[in-house]
Formats: sequence, C-alpha cells, structure tokens
Amino acid sequence: MKRFEHFIYSLLSSKSKKLLVILLTLGAFFGSLLMLSSQMVLAKMLPGKSANTYSVYVDTPEGSSIEQTKKVTSCVVKVLQDEPEVTDIEVFLGQGAPLDYAGLVKGSSYKNAKNVAELVVNLTDKHGRDESSFEMVHRLRPGVKSSCEGLVEGSVIKMIEQPAGPPTLASIVIELYGEDIDGSRRLATQLAGILRDTEGLVDIDTMMDTIYPKYELHVDKEKILRSKLSIEQVNKILYLAFEGRKVAVKNSEDSPEQIPLFLILNEQTREFDALSKEAIERKLSSLKLMNKAGMMVPVSEVVKVHKGSSSPMIYSKNLRRMINVIAETDMVSQVYPLLEARSTIQEKLANEYEIESTKLFNLRLTHKQTGEVYDLVWDGEMKVTLDTFYDLGMAFISALVLIFLLLVVYYKSFAVSGVILLGSFLSLFGVIVGHWIMDIFTVHTFFLTATSLIGFIVLMGISSRNSMLLIDFAKLLMEQKGFEKQRAIAVASATRAKPIFLTAGTVVLASTLLATDPIFGGLGVALIFGTTAGVIVSLIFIPVLLHSVKAMDKPL
Amino acid sequence: MSKQEFQPKDLAGKLAKAFLHNPLTPLLGVFLLVIGYFALEFTPREEDPQMEISGGSIIVALPGATPKEIENVIVKPLERKIREIKGVEYIYGMAMNDMGVVNVSYYIGEDREESNLKLYDKVMQNMNMLPKGTMQPLVKPFDIDIDVPILSAAFYTKEGSKLTQPELFNEIRKMQHEINRIDNVARTELKGEKKHQFNIEVDMHKLSGHHLSLGQIAQALQSLAINVPDIDTDTKSGRLAVFGVKNAIESKKDIENVIIAVYHGSPVYLKDVATVSMGENFQNFKETQISFKDQSGEFTPLQQQVTMTVSKLKGTNAVFIAENFKAKLNEFKPRLDELGVGYVITRNYGQRADDSVNRLVSNLLISIVIVVGLLVFVLGWKESLIVAFTVPAIFAVTLFIAYMTDQTVNRITLFAFMVSLGMLVDAAIIVVENIHRHMHEHGAADKSSDQIVLEATDEIGPATNVATVAIILTMIPMAFVGQMMGQFMKPIPLNVPVALFASLIVAYIFAPYMAKRMMRKPKHKHGHSAEANEGGAK
Repeated sequence: MKRFEHFIYSLLSSKSKKLLVILLTLGAFFGSLLMLSSQMVLAKMLPGKSANTYSVYVDTPEGSSIEQTKKVTSCVVKVLQDEPEVTDIEVFLGQGAPLDYAGLVKGSSYKNAKNVAELVVNLTDKHGRDESSFEMVHRLRPGVKSSCEGLVEGSVIKMIEQPAGPPTLASIVIELYGEDIDGSRRLATQLAGILRDTEGLVDIDTMMDTIYPKYELHVDKEKILRSKLSIEQVNKILYLAFEGRKVAVKNSEDSPEQIPLFLILNEQTREFDALSKEAIERKLSSLKLMNKAGMMVPVSEVVKVHKGSSSPMIYSKNLRRMINVIAETDMVSQVYPLLEARSTIQEKLANEYEIESTKLFNLRLTHKQTGEVYDLVWDGEMKVTLDTFYDLGMAFISALVLIFLLLVVYYKSFAVSGVILLGSFLSLFGVIVGHWIMDIFTVHTFFLTATSLIGFIVLMGISSRNSMLLIDFAKLLMEQKGFEKQRAIAVASATRAKPIFLTAGTVVLASTLLATDPIFGGLGVALIFGTTAGVIVSLIFIPVLLHSVKAMDKPL
Repeated sequence: MSKQEFQPKDLAGKLAKAFLHNPLTPLLGVFLLVIGYFALEFTPREEDPQMEISGGSIIVALPGATPKEIENVIVKPLERKIREIKGVEYIYGMAMNDMGVVNVSYYIGEDREESNLKLYDKVMQNMNMLPKGTMQPLVKPFDIDIDVPILSAAFYTKEGSKLTQPELFNEIRKMQHEINRIDNVARTELKGEKKHQFNIEVDMHKLSGHHLSLGQIAQALQSLAINVPDIDTDTKSGRLAVFGVKNAIESKKDIENVIIAVYHGSPVYLKDVATVSMGENFQNFKETQISFKDQSGEFTPLQQQVTMTVSKLKGTNAVFIAENFKAKLNEFKPRLDELGVGYVITRNYGQRADDSVNRLVSNLLISIVIVVGLLVFVLGWKESLIVAFTVPAIFAVTLFIAYMTDQTVNRITLFAFMVSLGMLVDAAIIVVENIHRHMHEHGAADKSSDQIVLEATDEIGPATNVATVAIILTMIPMAFVGQMMGQFMKPIPLNVPVALFASLIVAYIFAPYMAKRMMRKPKHKHGHSAEANEGGAK
C-alpha cells in the first residue's frame, strides 16, 4: 500500500507524468472507439440463441398444387431424418404451424393456401448437445436448398430460428414503395438478386405473388338470354361441378358436428385432359345446364374461354403500395451485409435509376426513362437495432445527466462532479476492449449487443461510485487530519484501493456466469472488463485530475 | 460521547437503532426469507417476459373482385378510417382476389383491450362505406397470450389401428373438451382436421345420358335433408300427443336412393348417376404429418396426425398448466392405447420456462457462493456470513415485490438479479467493514458495542446512500426505452432499483444487528495506522 501511495504521490509531483496519464487514458478511449469503426468489434442487436427447435417455411410459387408443395416438404423431411439430433418433425401443409414468437411477425397465422407449408423440427435437449441449433441450421441450409428447392421451380425454403429477443419479419427487410406495380416488381427482383449475391445473406425472398397463367370464362350475355339461362346459374353450376359444394347437412347424435352432403363431379369426369384452351372447351361442352324450358344446354355454348394471367396481390403499408424483399443473416450481424448491399445497389442500378440517399441508410430511386419514383426503406432487425441503440444511447445520456446533477447536489462543485463523470465515461474503453478480447477467444463472433449497451449504463453508476468513495475519503483526510491536498489524494487512493478492489471483485465474480450466456454475455463482459478498467481509471486517472481541480481545496 | 445514548443523524443509523434491540428483528429476517421462497414458487414462470403487443386484422370478402378493385373499394377506404385511431403505428393492406385484409399494429405498450375495442368500433361505425356485395367484415384482434400456444401434442395412429383420419380427429376432439377444463387454459385448437362427410361424386357422362343437370341433384338433396322440430298437440281427451318427422336422410343408402327425376314412369335414382361414400372432406387441402424417432432410433415414415395446441390465460403459470396437461394425457392413455393412438408432445413452453428459471437460480446461487468466498478471503468468515445472509434477504424482498406487482419470473428477471448481485453486497460490505474498523480502533474499549455499531453504521450512511442512488438513477432512463427491446428488457429497470434499495434497508437493519451479536471487540487494544482510519466521529 505504501508503495502505491508513493507512486501516486510522485505521479502528482511531476507535470509531465500527469500529462502522460491523461494522454494514455484518452488514447485508450479513442483507440477503443476506433476498434468499433474499423469493425474489429462488430455490433449486432442480439446474438443467436441455441434452442431445442426450429422451423422450416416452404413456399412454392402461387398456383402450385398441394401435391407439388408436398413433394418439397417430403424432400426436406428426408434430409432432416438423417440428423441424429432431430427427435421429431411435424409438417403443416397449406397452413401455418402452431404459432410461435417467430411466426407471430412472419405472418404464419395468415397462411392458408396450397402453395405454403411449415415444418417444425424438434431437437434433443440443448444441454446435452454439442452443436447449437443455429450452427445446425447453418450447416443444413445449403444441403436442404440444393436438393429440395429445385423440385418445384421457383420454390423458396427458409430455415427459421427462434429469435433471441424480440421477433422481426426478417433480419434484413427492404421495403420498396412505389405506385407503379410492374416497375416495383421488376425492381424488387433486381434487389433480390443483389441481396443473393451479398455474402452472409441467405433465404432471400420477395414477398410478391408469382404471376401464373389463368383461363378466364367470358359469358356471352346474348346467348344466355336466348337460351333462357341466367349468369348466376352458370356460375353456380360451374363452381358446383369443379369445386364442389355442401348442398345439405345431416344431423347426427354421435358426431360432434353436422355431417355435410358434398356434391361434386367425380374425379374422372372433373379432370381436364391437358392445361389448354381446347381441353377446357371440350370439357365444358359435355357439362350441361337445364334451362327454364327444361332443355339441356352445354356450358360451352354460352361462354368463351380466354387465356389470361393471374392478378397478384397488392400489398400496402401505411397507405402506400409496397413490396418487401427479405433476407436472413447466416450467423453474422445484419449491419455489415446491409451496408455492402446498399453500396452494390448504388453501383449496379446507377445506369437505370437516379439514386439519392434519404434518411439514414434509405434510398430514393427515380427511373431515368419513366420518371417513376421508388423509395427504398430498410426495415426488420436493422430498424429495431437502430431504434434500440438510439433509445439505449438516449438512456445512457440521461443517466449521465442524472448522475451529474446528483453529484453537483452532493459535492456542490461542477468541477469535481465533472471529473467523476469524465472518469466513468473514459473507463468505458474497457467494455470495447473486453469485447475484442472475448472475440479472439470465442469460436463465434462476439458481438457488441444491446445488452452490452445496458452494461455501459450500469457501469456509469459503478465507476462513479468508486471515484466518490475516493474523493470523500481524501476530503475527510484534509479536513480532519489536516493533510495537504497532494498527500491526501495519494493516501486516499492507496487506502481506498482495497475496498475498491473488493467491490470491483464482487462485480466481476458475480458477472462471470453472466458472461457465458449467449444473450447476456455482452452485459457480463461489459461489467467484467468495464469494472476492471474503471478501477484503473479511478485509482490513477481520477487522482491526477483531482489534483488540478481547485474545488478540492474546499472541505465537504 | 461516553455513556449517553448515541443520536443517529442519518437514515442508516436510525434504522439500525430501531432494530438493534428489537426482538422481532430475527423474526423479520426469517419472514423475509419465507415470503421470498413462496414468491419464487408461485410467481408465474416464463421463458421470455410478457410483451404488450396489440393489433388485429380486418378481413373483408367481396367475391369475384380483382385485387385492384379490392384495393380501391375496400382496402384504401378502410386504411383511411383506421388512420383516425390514435396509437396505431402501422397499417398493412393486402388486396387479393375476392378478399381484402387490413392488418393493424399499435405502438408497443398500448393497452390491449382498449386498442381492440377501438379497432372494432371503427370498423362497425363505417359499415355503410363498404361496397355492395361485401360480406360481413371480420375483425380479429390478436393476443399473444392466447394466440401463442404454450403446449402442443401430435396424435397419430399406430400401426394396426383401424381408425381413419376423421375418426382420429373425432376422438381427439372429445379429449379437447377435457383439456379445456384444466385451470387457466385459455384456448385449445386442433390442426389437421379431417371431418366426416358424404361425398356424392357425379359422373358427368351418365348425367347427360339421363338428361339431368347438376342443379337438379342439388335441389333433390336439399328438399329431403330437412330437420323439423317435433310437433306437439292435444288429443280429444286432453292428453299431450307428440310427433315428429324424421330426417329422410340417415344413411348412405338413403342418399343413394334419392329419386332425382322420373322419366317415362321410371325413376332415376342418385346411385344411377353418382357414387356415394361416407368419407373425409377431401376439398380441405390442409394436411398435417409427423415423422418421429421410435424406440429403435429410426424415423417413422411421414404419416397423418392431429395436433392439439393449448394456450394459457395471461399472467398464469405455464409450468402448472403443462404438468396438468401431461397428467390429463396420462389419464387418457389406456383409452388411446386401446384405439391404437400414440402421441408426441411437440411443444412444452412450461418445461422450457421451468428449466431456464431453475438453471438461472442455480447460477445465481453459484455466483453468491463465489462472492461470499471472496469475502471470506478478504474480510474474515464472521463478517462474510453477515453479508451472505443479506443477499437472499434482498432477493426475497425483490421477488416478493415483483410477485405483488404482477410480474413474472423469466430469464430477464433473473439476469437482472445476477447483474445487481455484484452491487447489492456493497452496502452490507461497507457497513460491516466500518463496524469492524471501529471495533479495532483506539478508544473502542471505552464504548459500548451498541454505540460502536450505531456510530459506524451512521457514519457511512450518507456516502452509501448517494452512491446507491447514483446507480438507481442510471437505471431509471432504461425504463423509458421504447420498442420491443424496451419491453423485453423491462424487468431490468423494474427490479434492479428495487433490489438496490432493498440492499440499503437490509444492510442497515440486519448488518448492525448481526454484527453486534457476532463480532467482538478485540481483547488487546491495538490501533491501525493513523491514515487508514476514517477518523472517529468528532
């Protein structure tokens, strides 16, 4: 202790040494900030969480039959059955699986079509398994896609992991606003292509309906009237013949429900020979209607078959037409692929569109020929991350202000309060360096996450407490024992070192188990390294600054 | 300042003095631990904290309209009207063939019940704006608690079972009713429904051979399958006579023998032009399948299944519901075995919540042991024992307050505890350390141990209070973080300040009490070096 006291005392005597301490601290702080901007430490909202389950979403193109969808899901099941860690697989064809947190925002509950399916894959317990669920998804994804997506052209298979924190539609979501539907569709396809070529992005999908060929029956009104039929009758009978209808019900005492009587043409006579105009016309000529006079009239007499195409769904958000292009990240943060994709967009689409930056990372594209304007807005996890980091940043600043006010009330000096605050602020370099060190020692990228930011906030309180105990003690020494300032500060640093180490030690030890958690690891590491840095700062940097502060001369 | 009673100036000393000789103090300590234990047992457990997300969807059908028509006459007017509601963050419109859907999501944290009402109101007020031919709009609010099931089980028929899929579905449906009786179960749903129906498949060629149209068949069936209530009337002698008309269609045979038309005196029966069968509703394209590992470790081939999902009421304990659900399934087991039906539990959030809470509680205990270990090393075992007692007491108070304020125990709550652990031993450490120093000080022999304990506690009061308040202050802005993340992290700003505040009170009440009884003044007077003393109170 004596040696430490002498060390501080000699430090305070020499101007150049004091300057060196200040420069070193500032250097460490700004150096750590550089680590962030040079991407030595990567930011992400929350890291992946190992779970005992994940889902697979299968989307075949609109207009696919349930059999085609089934072909793809059966293929996926086959691949998954080779996995020793899988315990069971459930397939939900034509509908969403029982809702979970991921499905809640991914529109799982709205699924009701022949071209969608969801699979639930349950795994053995995560504690007895070496491979985490996100590693498994990462490993399986290429195989599943290459062997199954090709079975029905245009299908998209997405592997959905349980979110670690709040669920989002996808890691990366491009909201493409534009009034011109065809133009938007073309641009969305181009954007999807760019995302597909961006490293780290997988499961790219454009959320727009595929346009498929469709046959339309045009009713000849004159003929209908002449043959004493009605349009309603034609519609009803066509629906009844090919789709079927419950025409009546039978009550039953043994069955929990009424038993319907379902009327439809039988399979042999219902099916078309081929998907062509002629085949449809042929079929319709043998389907007959009875007119009011009791005569039989073939349907083909009163309708004409035209080939057309399906009309895709129109999607809008907040009253503007929009198309979503979505992508998932594959074990990387969404921030960096997004920036990369953004610059590719600016590069590749520059000859077709006039591109300007709007708010944040958003872009506005104006087509050079048509003058049509498209707004590109990044949403999904990116937006949540930005919002969260912004909100937590604001909380951090508010915490600084509140502590400062409290200190000013207690010490009645702006200078002393400022020193304490500056000290705690600078000690944050420990958090960033800590993340960098952890990143070296862990297999996966150790991200600076939202919980690390919470660590920043909590640390402010802890480090300022260290400095406060030191200042209180130094002032007491000056007041009661009549020490001169330099000696008082040196003695205070030396004697207070033990309790400061002790309290820091409890924080560090209490956080060690925290650091092993995937989600709260950021907070744990922030506390461990931040408190350590805080101890160094309060024992060396704070005394140096205090020595130069006039307000320290006054008693409490 | 010799024998007269010490007058504390700070809250610290006052609390210490009030409880130092109070016989109820140890009782209070035990009481705190007991309520803490009960709070831990009875507070609903969840894996993730609850989030207030409100919103819903409005579904309007207009048969025969194209997406563009739907957009113009349904989606756009509806969207504009929804804009009038306060608190709506996003409106998503979907215009499809025959149908328009508008999804509404409110800002996170908006009151759910109120939001749902507002949405429903808005749609009902504007019913007159909907175009002619639209069907009654459907307003479906979503509710995380009810919509996200906590349990699911897949039922399948074992090899050799004679049950058809509709029969399996009916069996499971009977069970569903029983499951719904479990306390706090909100909703049960079945996926993979295949229902019974009479399939009447008409041969088009035979139809035209008999000069019949489909419409005639439909009419003939409709006119027969009619149910009429019983008729009661009186007889002449004044007695009640009841008679009813039986539904003409009872079995497959009845349907087959329906006469559709009579040509030249000979009737045409339905069986002449169509095949009738009692089967499943094949027009329902949805299907559910399962493949699972059997005892031999091999995957069974994909087969049809029925999935039952169970969701819970808000604020209830998923762990208990899961246990009851399992017990109920066990009860059904003999019947299911008899039918040749097996099941796999495919989701159990109750178990998951329980596991993660238990694991974190044990992590927390390990952390406490580690911290106490450090203290024994630095402070001595009596002192660290005092500090060690305060930790469970503080957590007990915090948990109890969480229980009283309708919070749940989840991952984030326990993380909040682990984060605060390092900080909340400080108050007790500071008090105990100061008492220890005062006892070893010059002149300690002249003072009663009461006085030393109170003085020492009172002395560090102001600085400890300010330091703790500083940490509490840093937590407060976090409570105002918005978005999902803010909701997700809410247990931290809610619980850490409570824990820290409790740490002050517990340290001031129990540390002096225990110190007086456990720590002794040294027999030989010896002082520490002058500088190390914070100075006896002057």
